[in-house]
Amino acid sequence: MLELHDLIASVGDDDPKTILNGLSLNVPSGEVHAIMGPNGAGKSTLSYVLTGRHGYNVLSGQALLDGEDLFDMDPEARAAAGLFLSFQYPVEIPGVPVMTFVRTAMNAQRAVRGEPEISAPDFIKQARLVANELKLTPDMLKRPLNVGFSGGEKKRLEIFQMRMLEPRFAILDETDSGLDIDALRTVAEGVNALRDPKRGMLVITHYQRLLDYIKPDKVHVLSAGRIIASGGPELALRLEKEGYDGIVGEAA
Amino acid sequence: MAINIPELRQKFKNPGVPELDLIARYASLPEDERRGRMFDAFAKTGLPGRRNEGWRWSDVETAAARLDGAEAPAVTPALLQPDDATVFNLSPAGLEAPDRLPDGLLVHRLQAAPALAGSENIPMAALAGSLCQYKDDAASIVFEVTASLPAPVYINWRGHDGDTNFSRIAIIVRQGAKLDLVESYCGGASLASTLVELKLEDEADVRRSLFHAGDAREIMTATGLVELAAKARFSQTILSLGSLLSRFETRLNHTGSGSHAVLNAAYLCAAQRHCDITSVVRHGAPSCVTRQMTKGAVLAGGRGVFQGKFLVPRTIGQFTDADMQHQALLLENGAEVFAKPELEIYADDVECAHGNTSGALDEEQLFYMRQRGIPLPQARALLTEAFVSEALSAASPDVGEAMQTTARAFLAEMHG
Repeated sequence: MLELHDLIASVGDDDPKTILNGLSLNVPSGEVHAIMGPNGAGKSTLSYVLTGRHGYNVLSGQALLDGEDLFDMDPEARAAAGLFLSFQYPVEIPGVPVMTFVRTAMNAQRAVRGEPEISAPDFIKQARLVANELKLTPDMLKRPLNVGFSGGEKKRLEIFQMRMLEPRFAILDETDSGLDIDALRTVAEGVNALRDPKRGMLVITHYQRLLDYIKPDKVHVLSAGRIIASGGPELALRLEKEGYDGIVGEAA
Repeated sequence: MAINIPELRQKFKNPGVPELDLIARYASLPEDERRGRMFDAFAKTGLPGRRNEGWRWSDVETAAARLDGAEAPAVTPALLQPDDATVFNLSPAGLEAPDRLPDGLLVHRLQAAPALAGSENIPMAALAGSLCQYKDDAASIVFEVTASLPAPVYINWRGHDGDTNFSRIAIIVRQGAKLDLVESYCGGASLASTLVELKLEDEADVRRSLFHAGDAREIMTATGLVELAAKARFSQTILSLGSLLSRFETRLNHTGSGSHAVLNAAYLCAAQRHCDITSVVRHGAPSCVTRQMTKGAVLAGGRGVFQGKFLVPRTIGQFTDADMQHQALLLENGAEVFAKPELEIYADDVECAHGNTSGALDEEQLFYMRQRGIPLPQARALLTEAFVSEALSAASPDVGEAMQTTARAFLAEMHG
């Protein structure tokens, strides 16, 4: 369960701008919620505030993951607590092969949780299985992370990491951007495979299209740093038809 | 005729205490005309320092004065040796060689010092040449490789009495022969200078790997003079963790057409460590290739120095293909890197390029790794290792792995 209470957060250290303006939201375990909103609404800011990126400063409010205060933790501790972000723009890590990277991450998280390291054969077995489902070749897993990968491949690699790390809560930040329809389907299948009564997900997107494949339990509209409307999947369809202006105007 | 110390002193400009010690040391050695010429060459500069071209950032003079009276540094571990290696230990006591040498390898002990051309420009090499006198009476040792060797040759350079260590060897690789050479510089002397003259005949093929992880009380300069005949191939990889002052200087001359050189180096400097990677490559024959890649990572209080020069003379340097890259990571505030890449080109049909960058680790990469659960120190170590490992990739697999392991252990410790 992810609980956000009245979040106010700014971006930038020198000339801070308040982007989140009293955002409250609950995503119970087992549910998938979507956040939609116009450019500049604070969608990516929300994902960075929750994961603890430098330069994103929480002024007030609370974020609890299964009762644990996220803002008390370093980014790596939040990851070990089970928080995963699928980046809108996955970062290239030259010189570190995908397999090495994911295994290092997995064992680092396990160490924090007091679990034993995964054995090399178990890791390879699991990686092959997941890679196959996501249409990633074994050769791609040997290459440095995200280096020379296409936009679609990078997004599939994000989902690969998510599948491998099995987080308790996943945020998908515009995972659909830059994907063609086949890649979109593959990615959505990867996400759906992780649906679990114990896992919550927050899907951030501009467009309704992704929600055809990842069926959300709830849809929230984010505008000017706060949730201005919430509803079922039909809200996404209404947004698609009427545009953000209609809903934003209504709320105001 | 005995050597006259006051006369020797006259040859130096205001000799300091360390130089007076070197004068006394020289005076105690058997007289030898060529040795004398090398010492005269050294005397012109003395221990090089800020005022000397090429030594501005690596001030041996000041470092030596600081070390005067200090406790001797520890002997440091050599790079991991595979079982099949032919291992030599070289110290002022002389050469410890295996009982049986492999076919194709001969070792000659020379009673007289060979001449050293151009010694005025390489004061620390001139010093090594003039003061090298092994206790077993050899003034220089020559390794002759007459046929390709199946296993690598390891040389461990070791200080003996904790005071000084001056060594000179020559390695001649005959036509078409192959050599995998590994050198560990194991400290144990406050002031060490070694000189290796490597001569590759036509189509000879040498892979050379050098390693140094010294003490904060140790000054170490290692000079390599390399000559490549036609179609010779030479690939060098250095891993330096530095010492109070550590310098690897390579002077490579392409003397035959179509020769190929790779000069790679990685340096990792913690606090109070100084790593200097200096090279001069002369394209003295047409159609020769040089690829040079130096990567460094420096912590607060550490200093990295890179000086690289390509010299391409008119006419004989035609069709040169040369590339020089230096990239450094400043891991903390207070880390220092000094770099001077130089191209001096007089031939008109050549391809020469150089690049030089320095900066911090990428914050975006670090955040991405932390978001996946990798703790910051480990993320920094992993990124740094990935960054420098490119410069170690040309080493032979065994040596490259040993170097990677050493680098990884060092990085884990320095970030941990």
